[in-house]
Amino acid sequence: MSSNTQNTEAALTVPVDDVLRYELLESNGPKNAPTGDPVMSVRDLNVSFNTEAGTVHAVRGVNFDLWGGRTLGIVGESGSGKSVTALSLIGLLDDNAHVKGSIKLRGTELIGLTDEEMSQYRGANISMIFQDPLSALTPMFSIGDQLAEALKIHDPEMSKADVRARCIELLELVGIPEAEDRLDSYPHEFSGGMRQRVVIAIAIANNPDIIIADEPTTALDVTIQAQILDLLKVAQKETGAAVVLITHDLGVVAGIADDIMVMYAGRAVERASVDTLFARPGQPYTMGLFAAVPKPHMPSNTRLVPIKGNPPSLAAIPPGCPFSPRCPIAGPECFKTEPHLEALDPAEGHLVSCLKMQQIRDQHLTYKEVYPDLEPLTPKWAEVPRDERPVVLELKDVTKVFEVQSKGLIRRTKGIVTAMDKVSFQIHEGETLALVGESGSGKSTTLMEIMDLAVPKEGTITVLGKDTRDLKSARERRELRRDLQVIFQDPMSSLDPRMPIYDVLAEPLRAQHWDKNKINRRIGELMGLVGINPDYVDRFPSQFSGGQRQRIAIARSLATNPKLLLLDEPIASLDVSIQAGIINLLEDLQTQLKISYLFVAHDLAVIRHISDTVAVMHLGKIVEYGETEEVFNNPQDPYTKALLSAIPIPDPPVERTRLRLVYKDGELVPANEVHV
Amino acid sequence: MARFLTYVAKRVINYAVMIFVATSLTFFLASAFMSPRSNYESRTPRPPQESIEQSLTANNLNDKTPIMERYTTWLKGIVTEFDWGNSPTGTSVNSEISQRIGASVKLMLLSTVLSIVIGVGLGVYTAQRQYQWQDRLWGGVAALFLTVPTVVLAILIVFFAIEINSASGMRIFYVTGLSSYTGDNVLLAFLDFLQHILLPTIVLTIISAVGYHVNQRTYLLDEMHADYVRTARAKGLTKKQAIRKHALRASLIPTSVNVAFSIAGIFTGAVMTEKIFAIHGLGEYFINCINNNDIYGSVAVAAFSGVCTLVGALLADLFAAALDPRIKMS
Repeated sequence: MSSNTQNTEAALTVPVDDVLRYELLESNGPKNAPTGDPVMSVRDLNVSFNTEAGTVHAVRGVNFDLWGGRTLGIVGESGSGKSVTALSLIGLLDDNAHVKGSIKLRGTELIGLTDEEMSQYRGANISMIFQDPLSALTPMFSIGDQLAEALKIHDPEMSKADVRARCIELLELVGIPEAEDRLDSYPHEFSGGMRQRVVIAIAIANNPDIIIADEPTTALDVTIQAQILDLLKVAQKETGAAVVLITHDLGVVAGIADDIMVMYAGRAVERASVDTLFARPGQPYTMGLFAAVPKPHMPSNTRLVPIKGNPPSLAAIPPGCPFSPRCPIAGPECFKTEPHLEALDPAEGHLVSCLKMQQIRDQHLTYKEVYPDLEPLTPKWAEVPRDERPVVLELKDVTKVFEVQSKGLIRRTKGIVTAMDKVSFQIHEGETLALVGESGSGKSTTLMEIMDLAVPKEGTITVLGKDTRDLKSARERRELRRDLQVIFQDPMSSLDPRMPIYDVLAEPLRAQHWDKNKINRRIGELMGLVGINPDYVDRFPSQFSGGQRQRIAIARSLATNPKLLLLDEPIASLDVSIQAGIINLLEDLQTQLKISYLFVAHDLAVIRHISDTVAVMHLGKIVEYGETEEVFNNPQDPYTKALLSAIPIPDPPVERTRLRLVYKDGELVPANEVHV
Repeated sequence: MARFLTYVAKRVINYAVMIFVATSLTFFLASAFMSPRSNYESRTPRPPQESIEQSLTANNLNDKTPIMERYTTWLKGIVTEFDWGNSPTGTSVNSEISQRIGASVKLMLLSTVLSIVIGVGLGVYTAQRQYQWQDRLWGGVAALFLTVPTVVLAILIVFFAIEINSASGMRIFYVTGLSSYTGDNVLLAFLDFLQHILLPTIVLTIISAVGYHVNQRTYLLDEMHADYVRTARAKGLTKKQAIRKHALRASLIPTSVNVAFSIAGIFTGAVMTEKIFAIHGLGEYFINCINNNDIYGSVAVAAFSGVCTLVGALLADLFAAALDPRIKMS
């Protein structure tokens, strides 16, 4: 141990244990190593819930410290225990949670406090920002009232004028224009991004020591996400608080976190400074996350590496390392004993929980060695070049307006909203076109028009060479619809829970009057195609995991041998490690079956990976349309430039230094010159 | 404010049209199915044909007069003199109804207020103790009263009241009517009223309180787990404060709609309970009208309930708008 660290330790008034000793060495980030006493120390945190499925061990022995001004990123998938950890810090777990261990706020133990006692600290010392800004504010109260409540609850003596002044100050701080007038507005009069700003204003109202942000940008569009992340930095600077940022998105933590803790099955499996973790991930699961995520800032030439299998159920965690069933380098010992966090690189405080750590360290293993099947992407246009292939779908100057009607007996048209403004694009056989845009851009309307085989007022929609205007009978439509299938975002709600998989898959075939033998044969084929054991046909959707359900949804859409698949955010509801498998499946199916995809998504990294051409939509118009690599490398339209500059990049030095542009009234302005 | 008044005015005009159409339809239906003539013909001794015709014509009930003519006469009476017509026996529907409304209001007002207070209170109490013994106990009680028919419940309560009366040797509870005291002492008259009103009030309160309890519990449970309650707690409110200040208000929006409709119910009475306790209210009157081929009585009661229901609907809208800023009056 160097003399330097001993000096840092000497400056502390709290006893230094192993956890703290390693954390004090985490210096490979933008803010160097932490100094001084931590504001909060979490030791051996265990949270379990009694449920009908048995005891769920959501958090198992988590340790960390938080320092004012520093940001700890907690990364993990659903069920990793990251949100439960966050909620236990602020004491907002459900009543049936059993919390053990120690959470100390400046030396005061918080575990075991009653709701009344804990409420003294909530909002004043520890505050929280939630995932969904649309539901986080009480719809019946004005913004001003909700802000004022946060102040008054901790300082009932505060005068009305002071409260008002502070509320205005807070709203201005979080970048709400005309703050004074907006105090009387209600949440529904604000957009999602604006509401998240209000939630942040509430969180920083009492200058807390700790701000917990639980997936604060997951529900937001990418440009809004960038603004909110910037604002979070402002809030931290303003309050000097320690920030805990919980996310599943590696890009988000890259730019904002100082230290990172990766969680899996209720445990921390890796912990390091941000730059160390991104440069040299040391745990197979962390490596897998990097391999599974497409990179938004570089062209993809290899397939993604899915982590096989699914995260374990927290009610029945298998013996040994919980990641062992999915780990490509797991040995027999991994299935027997569960590893603990140990130093991979003692000098940097880089901790890893893996029994194969010795091997990883000695052989300098990276994800390329651990996940060796990084196959190159198959060249798609080898046989027939794209321009020589038939056009499967063509939209030409399609315009769609919605009339806004007044209420009353006689409904007059008050105005029109142009949802699609001269939208044109075409998709060739075997091609993937990505439709990109933020909420309200008109991409869903476009999808609906195609799905309905609608006859637009202006322009034409041509599906497989047939103009929708020429479709005369319902039969012709039905036949065309067979070649046009759709896959929705949420496989949970798009499959009928009361239908066994057999019926789910047979339904479209019966609609086409197939006979029973043919149907049985086809279902076997389909199950094989999407990689699900054909013996499972009599199971119900609820017996499958999210990724498997999406595979079933894909199988259902493929049943009638369609030529064109419309994919509406097909992977948005899936975990990162599962997404890669679905993306690979879609790519395989395209090569095998020469299907065309119209891919609607908001994740630009995924789009760069999977699509051949991109159409960027903004306010109902296609503002940019071209080859994916061309658009990403050399965007022409200012809106596209702003959109691309807002994508968080999972590479800390790049993410911290890149220039973000903001699209404002048709012009591009660097983000740091815009008032947030 | 001006926009709000135009909104209310528009609604009222809309409702007036609806009530006119509904009432007219009721008139034609009642005229087609009811035969006041048979009231006279079945009398013993049967009155002479001439006097039957005369009485029927005098009350605008003669089926030999063309129906449109009867309709216009009836309508003219309402529009010019607010006269809703006569029963086959010649008594005025107006005076019958005005006598009975008082009895119905006395009966319903107290029980409506009580059932709202008790029902909503129990709903809030049990929602905060979901799946604890208090919740299960009151849930069981609610299930019991939901399944027991009104008539059975009323008769059971009457039975117990009589038992108590005979056990104590005094008439503590009266089981019929609304008053029997004839003196001048105000206090004694009031006591007498209480003795009469108590039993029907208990019956009516139980019946409607159960509904409020079950609904309020569900509404509050939905809101208690809403994200914004968690935000309120994260600000530093205790769980109880967060529920009281944030969740409760939201959960009262659907309840207020139910309350608004029940206010309308105060004036139309309770059919079963009035019949069992021999209270001469509007509910009983409606049944009597139908039994006695009283066309105009039935139509008037139907029209009156229609007005009450639509007033309730308007009130429900106003309540919801007052509680929820997302609802705009335009």
